[in-house]
Amino acid sequence: MDFNLTKEQLMIQQMAREFAEKYIEPVAEQIDRENVIPEDIIKGLAELDLFGIPYSEEYGGADGGYDGYVLAMEQLARASGGVAMTLSAHSLALSAISVFGTEDQKKEYMTPCCKGEKIASFAFTEPATGSDPKQLTTTAVKDGDHYIINGTKRFISNANWPGVIVVFAVDDQTNKPSGFLVEKWCDGYSISEPWDKIGMHGGQLLDVYLKDVRVPVENMLGGPSMGYPILQLGISFGKVGVSSTALGGILAAYDEGVRYSKEKMHRDAPIAKFQSIQLKVADLAIKYEAARWLTYRLGMLANNVKDPRQFAREAALTKTFVCDTMCDVARISMDIHGSYGLMNDYKIARIYKDAIIGPQIEGVADMQRMIVAGLTLAD
Amino acid sequence: MATVLIYSDKASMALELLTAAREVGAAAVKAVTINDNAAAQDLVGAGAEVFAIDNDAINLADTAAVASALAQAIEQLGTDVVFLSSNRRGKEVAGRLAQIIQAGCLTDVTALQSNGDQIECQRNALGGATVATQTITEAKKVIAIRPRTFEAAAAGSAGSLNDLSVEAKPSAVKLVEVRSKAGDSVDIEAAEILVVVGQGMESQDDLPLAQELAKKLGGEVACSKPVATDKKWLSEERIVGLSGKKCKPQLALLFGISGQVQFTVGIRDARVIASINTDENASMNQMSDYIMTADLKQVLADLNKAL
Amino acid sequence: MNIVVALKQVPDLQQIRLRNRQPVLDDVPLTLGNIDKNALEAAVALKEAQGGNVIALSAGDENIEDTIKEALAAGADEAFLVADDQLQGAESSWIATVLAEAVKKIDQVDLLLFGEGSADNYSGQVGSRVAEILGWPQVAYAINIEVNGSTAAVTRSLEDCDEIVEVSLPAVITVLSDINEARIPSVTQILKAGKKPKEVLELDDLDVELPDGSPVETISNLAPDSQRKKVVVKTVDELLQALAAEGVIRR
Repeated sequence: MDFNLTKEQLMIQQMAREFAEKYIEPVAEQIDRENVIPEDIIKGLAELDLFGIPYSEEYGGADGGYDGYVLAMEQLARASGGVAMTLSAHSLALSAISVFGTEDQKKEYMTPCCKGEKIASFAFTEPATGSDPKQLTTTAVKDGDHYIINGTKRFISNANWPGVIVVFAVDDQTNKPSGFLVEKWCDGYSISEPWDKIGMHGGQLLDVYLKDVRVPVENMLGGPSMGYPILQLGISFGKVGVSSTALGGILAAYDEGVRYSKEKMHRDAPIAKFQSIQLKVADLAIKYEAARWLTYRLGMLANNVKDPRQFAREAALTKTFVCDTMCDVARISMDIHGSYGLMNDYKIARIYKDAIIGPQIEGVADMQRMIVAGLTLAD
Repeated sequence: MATVLIYSDKASMALELLTAAREVGAAAVKAVTINDNAAAQDLVGAGAEVFAIDNDAINLADTAAVASALAQAIEQLGTDVVFLSSNRRGKEVAGRLAQIIQAGCLTDVTALQSNGDQIECQRNALGGATVATQTITEAKKVIAIRPRTFEAAAAGSAGSLNDLSVEAKPSAVKLVEVRSKAGDSVDIEAAEILVVVGQGMESQDDLPLAQELAKKLGGEVACSKPVATDKKWLSEERIVGLSGKKCKPQLALLFGISGQVQFTVGIRDARVIASINTDENASMNQMSDYIMTADLKQVLADLNKAL
Repeated sequence: MNIVVALKQVPDLQQIRLRNRQPVLDDVPLTLGNIDKNALEAAVALKEAQGGNVIALSAGDENIEDTIKEALAAGADEAFLVADDQLQGAESSWIATVLAEAVKKIDQVDLLLFGEGSADNYSGQVGSRVAEILGWPQVAYAINIEVNGSTAAVTRSLEDCDEIVEVSLPAVITVLSDINEARIPSVTQILKAGKKPKEVLELDDLDVELPDGSPVETISNLAPDSQRKKVVVKTVDELLQALAAEGVIRR
């Protein structure tokens, strides 16, 4: 067992850190305030291949593995959770297509997304359903060599950007969910205003309205009735992104807490001299290291998924731990800041609001525990 | 100690080298000038034995030509030890000259001490994190000394002026144009008092307070690198540090300087350092004589009022 | 046009710790010097404008094969390395000899670029020494380089002025960090770095024999002992009194 990063891994980490510090950090507050990622940042991410790290070069990716993806995402998220969340949702869709797509589908839909010319979305959730595929109401009705899709999707990341969206709909041929590749902004596609969510601004969530959207039958992903397996494995890959986004948030909260403890004076001494603050600093360090190695491990596991069930377990437990830890660490760092941390002038205020998002997305925390428990007890 | 040959393209620095050579106890000092009568006169006036090279074919912008002329002078004058000024011109010549005469070479030397036959030189290492004391073990030595390390030799009893003739080869470098530096022409290295602004200064609106203070004290405003290159509040001429100027003022008043080594290397030779910071733990405080933890703007305003 | 860029493998200066004034270099990762990266960027920009081939040249211990990937990721087309444990941190004149001999083995070099000084030692003499060994002209402290056929127009930035000189090629040019902003390599460039052509020589391949005993001896290398007073003052008045007592201001 060797916990040293390779030169390539170090270089990817360093590169993402440099980009994040030079270009994202200066606008992170603006992104938080306006809930929009500036075009320049999107362009910069694209130029550095950060939209397609783990995917094959054949489809425009960088072949950098999920280990490279995790390392880069951590650094980007350290500067802005919203930027990382956008990439995470994008990768969730691309990972699903890369596993279940045909050669033609991958070439057509992944390539522009990996290059960052377009941004992908993944649309399962509906106003009336949580994570239960049996309650899906969006329909896909076959009409000759096309399917006609109707329905509403809720809380969809990146729905505002052009690119592919993986839509789950009940297939009238089998009466089971199938996945379809739809070009956003095609005829019949429209979106709501972005939801006014509490944190992770920049990563917009929108509702998607599909009205008589026609897609050729060859746009079905993974074959008839494969909706559920696609959802399962796709979401597992998505948890790699969510975990690394949270990890970057942990790192940011950790950095902020340590820095503030050294800067803030109380009776002529920095508060870091007090034992109660030292204990908090220790907890920040402990929790960051635990979350870090669990997340890096998930990245390595994602590179070579042999048993999707086992991978689902590892992804679920990692995501649960890391997202919960981000909440803990944000709280500890907030406690170090005291009342100043409540002010939006302090970065910890943003991190704290971002932290609450993680446990509630890509499967709420308790559902993740059910997955872990189920698979653990079954063995 | 051996005879020392000194050369700088700047007369003022050549006079500093004269002091340096005398202070390390050189048996004799031979000062070389190239196509610079005024410098030769200055050096003679300070008591140096001057060897003036007058050869229009030598182009000062051609480092190879300058190094070759100096190497011939060394050969003719039979000296083993050469002091150069460690300005950019001097540093560029140092390596080339050392290679021609097969000498060991040290540049950016900030202090010199003779120890028997050896000359112990101090210079920054590891990007300024440490100060190394080094000696050249080769008989032939080229030592480039940082400007202002020594006082310029004062005028005194006259030395001597001799002509020295050297050959010049056809040059592969042609000087096309000389442009004076645009904008700010401040010389923070010459200032006795520096008011130095760091990233701890929160607003550019506070800068006039620092400028007012500098004016009142008869000093100059300087800054850490990010204040000039990232924030662009001040010109790059005013940067103190590894990639800026190394200053030795009588007083450095630092406002919002955290104390990264890339900065401190440029100010640690100041006689008195006072550091005003909001952060009591700023590492700069460990390298300061007077430490004040307070709001920068307030301190600046109060100082301006009091002075 | 063949442009060779000499780069030095140094300990990452950001990660050096001091213990009892001694620098602790164990486990500090190796990297390429920052100004070296500006030299590389200048070479890549010239290549992009006029075509050519950028060769990263370095001499260091065996880790250099890994470290040089930074240069290959940042746009060098190939690497030419001299790997030998004797070379890591070796004295400037030795490194100059090794680099010059290596350059002789590379066909038709038009330009040889360096950073103005290495990140760790900053002596700035290696480029000049190499130019002398090769018998090439040199221009240091460049902030602009334009190649026009068999000559280059170079802006040399001195303390008080900028000089524009025309230098015939091949030549050695050392650059200031102000010359450009080195670009950040993409993931693809990083991952392809290791696959680019690389020639690795040992000292024996170069007919270079390093003399016994270094021409420069280091007696000590310590963090500066700052004997500062570290007096905490509470008020502006107290500060002014102290400075007046030092004789550095008049009240």
